[in-house]
Amino acid sequence: MTEDKMDKKRGIYIHMPFCVQKCNYCAFLSFRADGSPRKDYTDALEKEIRLRADLERQNGTDKDIDTVYIGGGTPSVMDISSMSEMMRAVRRSFDIKEDAEVTLEANPATLGIKDGVTLAKLQAYKFMGVNRLSMGVQSMDNDRLHYLGRIHTAENVARDMQLIRKKGFDNVNLDLIFSVPGESGENALSDLEKILELDPEHISCYSLQIEEGTPFGDMAEAGELTEVPDEEDRETYHRICHRLADAGYEHYEISNFAKKGYRSRHNSLYWNMDEYIGLGLGASGFINGVRYKNTSDLDEYLAAIEEGRLPVAEEHRNTAFDNISEAVFTGLRRREGISYEEAVRAYLGAEASEKKDLKTADDFCDFFWEVFADARDEAREYADRGLLLIDNEGLKLTEQGIDISNSIMSLFV
Amino acid sequence: MSYLDNIRNFSIIAHIDHGKSTLADRLIEKTGLVEARDMKEQYLDNMDIERERGITIKLQTTRLKYKAKDGQEYILNLIDTPGHVDFNYEVSRSLAACDGAVLVVDATQGVEAQTLGNVYLALDEDLEILPVLNKMDLDSARPDDARAEIEDIIGLDASEAPEISAKTGMGIDEMLEKLIEVIPPPQGDPDGKLKALIFDSYYDSYKGVIIYTRIFDGRVKRGDTIRMMNTGKNYEVTEVGYCIPGTVPADELKAGEVGYICGSIKQVADARVGDTITLANAPAEAALKGYKKAQSMVYCGIFPAEGEKYENVKDALEKLQVNDAAFNFEPENSAALGYGYRCGFLGLLHMDVITERLAREFDLDVITTLPSVVYKVVMKDGEVLDIQNPSNLPPQALIAHIEEPIVKADIMTPNEYVGSIMSLCQNRRGNMIHMEYLTKTRVQLHYEIPLNEVIYDFFDALKSRTRGYASLDYEFLRYQPAKLVKLDILLNREPIDALSTIVPEEEAMAKGRGICEKLKEIIPRHQFEVPIQAAIGQKIIARETVRAYRKDVLAKCYGGDITRKKKLLEKQKAGKKRMRQFGSVTVPQEAFTEVLKLDDGR
Repeated sequence: MTEDKMDKKRGIYIHMPFCVQKCNYCAFLSFRADGSPRKDYTDALEKEIRLRADLERQNGTDKDIDTVYIGGGTPSVMDISSMSEMMRAVRRSFDIKEDAEVTLEANPATLGIKDGVTLAKLQAYKFMGVNRLSMGVQSMDNDRLHYLGRIHTAENVARDMQLIRKKGFDNVNLDLIFSVPGESGENALSDLEKILELDPEHISCYSLQIEEGTPFGDMAEAGELTEVPDEEDRETYHRICHRLADAGYEHYEISNFAKKGYRSRHNSLYWNMDEYIGLGLGASGFINGVRYKNTSDLDEYLAAIEEGRLPVAEEHRNTAFDNISEAVFTGLRRREGISYEEAVRAYLGAEASEKKDLKTADDFCDFFWEVFADARDEAREYADRGLLLIDNEGLKLTEQGIDISNSIMSLFV
Repeated sequence: MSYLDNIRNFSIIAHIDHGKSTLADRLIEKTGLVEARDMKEQYLDNMDIERERGITIKLQTTRLKYKAKDGQEYILNLIDTPGHVDFNYEVSRSLAACDGAVLVVDATQGVEAQTLGNVYLALDEDLEILPVLNKMDLDSARPDDARAEIEDIIGLDASEAPEISAKTGMGIDEMLEKLIEVIPPPQGDPDGKLKALIFDSYYDSYKGVIIYTRIFDGRVKRGDTIRMMNTGKNYEVTEVGYCIPGTVPADELKAGEVGYICGSIKQVADARVGDTITLANAPAEAALKGYKKAQSMVYCGIFPAEGEKYENVKDALEKLQVNDAAFNFEPENSAALGYGYRCGFLGLLHMDVITERLAREFDLDVITTLPSVVYKVVMKDGEVLDIQNPSNLPPQALIAHIEEPIVKADIMTPNEYVGSIMSLCQNRRGNMIHMEYLTKTRVQLHYEIPLNEVIYDFFDALKSRTRGYASLDYEFLRYQPAKLVKLDILLNREPIDALSTIVPEEEAMAKGRGICEKLKEIIPRHQFEVPIQAAIGQKIIARETVRAYRKDVLAKCYGGDITRKKKLLEKQKAGKKRMRQFGSVTVPQEAFTEVLKLDDGR
């Protein structure tokens, strides 16, 4: 354990809940909205940024910010002028570190219709300090893109990627969705090849989850959708993992792959029990030992800001057990797994670990299994089946273990 | 004029939902013994489960005072009856305590199967019956049709039947006047030897068992030593009184009156409904007729669920038994489910009520196994065994034959559903005895059906096939030989005793297949293949496989929403707690009860 890992990092997540249209699989909070609500929203967001920053300063808990992530929705559909205002507000209110990672989620075909507009928009993002772009590509097959309800084509992706590179963005993630109904493993792998041709620094591969309340969810309920069988889905997943390893991408989290030095620093906060301030509609945050979630109701959100209060809907101060439990199940998402020391420090807090006189790896190991005494036998069974690696340093999932990771993680909640 | 002339002892009888409890509420309200503000909806149904289901299980008895138009004050003892076929015996004892009955007929529905069943019970006790047409406030009321049905089907003169609405209170006064006129006052000799009928009892933690009784002859007071004539047990009376409702002490109870007696009695089984109370030092010569021991018709296993303590289950069952003479249990050991209890019930509803009370009142987590009837197994050596637990069935080779209980089922229905009811009964191995047209459009079907076929979901199937219009009444008839076999279920090649059932030989294949298919849906996928097999003896008759492997991974945490992810994992963990481990196979607890709810369209 290095010193800086013990020191909690802090990021900011900003939610932009607007899209050109809602995708058939999407359960994220987003609206198909145009015109005035967007402007009302960014105005309110600026106020929330100030409210949150003031509160942190008053409490003396303000900290330099390591990462900023603007997610959605589709942040790239927002007016450049309001985005730039908002980013200015972020920088005025928070101390953003010089080398901070600033990610913007963008969807192909939303940057601009004409190349000139796209380039100008990309230039504006650069001015705002955006240094990482995450593109919702999802597929490189036009029929499948249409089926998913995406507005773009494979040609759009290639073109956008060219312009992005031209503008000098050197840290780009491309998202890929596999196991779309009707899709074979071959299809997914061929999508992956096309994505590899674009040579992104980072690739996220998600197995399609059919969520309730989405058009796909409704179709599944009506029996109009043939889901890809689990066996096939898992086979595709492992093929993807192996192909990406061959292509020089490090598999560092269940769904994330990066070239060396290009892991997502922001998303890593979530898996390291680091802190993040969530801003905007439905955003989640974790700061000063408290997990909170903003309201998901746009009117409520706007009204709260109007009244000068934070739009927090749920708030929970983590107990020591919450901390260790979250450290374990989020840590298990990382391919490197979770060390006993890291988990126990989440439980005790750094100072208390010193007081407890926990020094050696064995001390932490013993302490860890005391907390999770009930889970030990079952964890060993998973280990015997080759799904979980347990040693005297900590735990990690094997590649096969990922397939049933929820069952393993649920031992620790 | 005797004090007896101013007493009326009566019950209200009705089909479920015809408004019996609502009428009782109105009477209590009308006669002013419970303040309107204390009125709960349906005062007499005082268990939550009863109120929710709109049925009465435990009786309540109430003493009402009514000043009639003739200027006299009458004591009206309303003796409640349970409203379900499982409790026929209890109904008959309540009726035996009465001199008359008010028959409530829903003017929108007419006469139903249970109406008839209850009327027959009342006639068996020589009761005067006052028919009353209820729900007259509804537009759909058709009093003339209902009147005609009462006359045609039951044979009672309904021309003067009061038209009332128990809901709005309309016609209640007229009904009470009519009641005093039609229902005769009790008879009896207050100076004779004590003869008192127990028609209900319940356990009170301060007073012990409180016996509800109707005094036929003699009198009883505090300090008397009473004797239960059928069980022979003696108790000293600690209190007597009236139920107004609740218990209000009085100096004595005498012939013709209805009230309660306490005597430090430890459990209701010692004051069994139907028994006759007399004085130990001056006993009556003969008990009142009609006493029957409680007989369980349906059995099931009740086991503590994962994490639940055996002792807690035992305590709760004991507490329930104290108050329910018809419920019995004994320890049972299942290889699959561990230590638990084999419990006997009057019927399915009774079983439902008990298991629901375990969950609700005692906050217990239990697994209930498939209900079973009691089979008479005739062995080759001539011995006859009562088997209610399929696991205890002796090897086929030693059995000469098996007999199963048959019930007489009377189904009343509008004539358009006759066809679908006949096919239902035929699929349930029913044998039609005869069918009669009660009116042009209403038919009564008389069937003999194995009880085994009735206890699962017969009533639900009947309701759904007739859009709720058919009604059912049934009672035990006799034992009859049948070709039955034990159907075993094997998971991962291990037999699971708690899933064994006794089924008709010709249906074994279909049932086995159905159970395997159902289990395949219920059992989660494992890391390995889990074969599910149905077998008769050594012969496998059906097989399904739960395929190995399962995707159980969340691709993405939504925008750092760790809380959401955590809730999912917690839910998963909680779900797992509700599973049972058999070797390496995990089975959700609901499997044991869900598995026979086979929706096979029968």
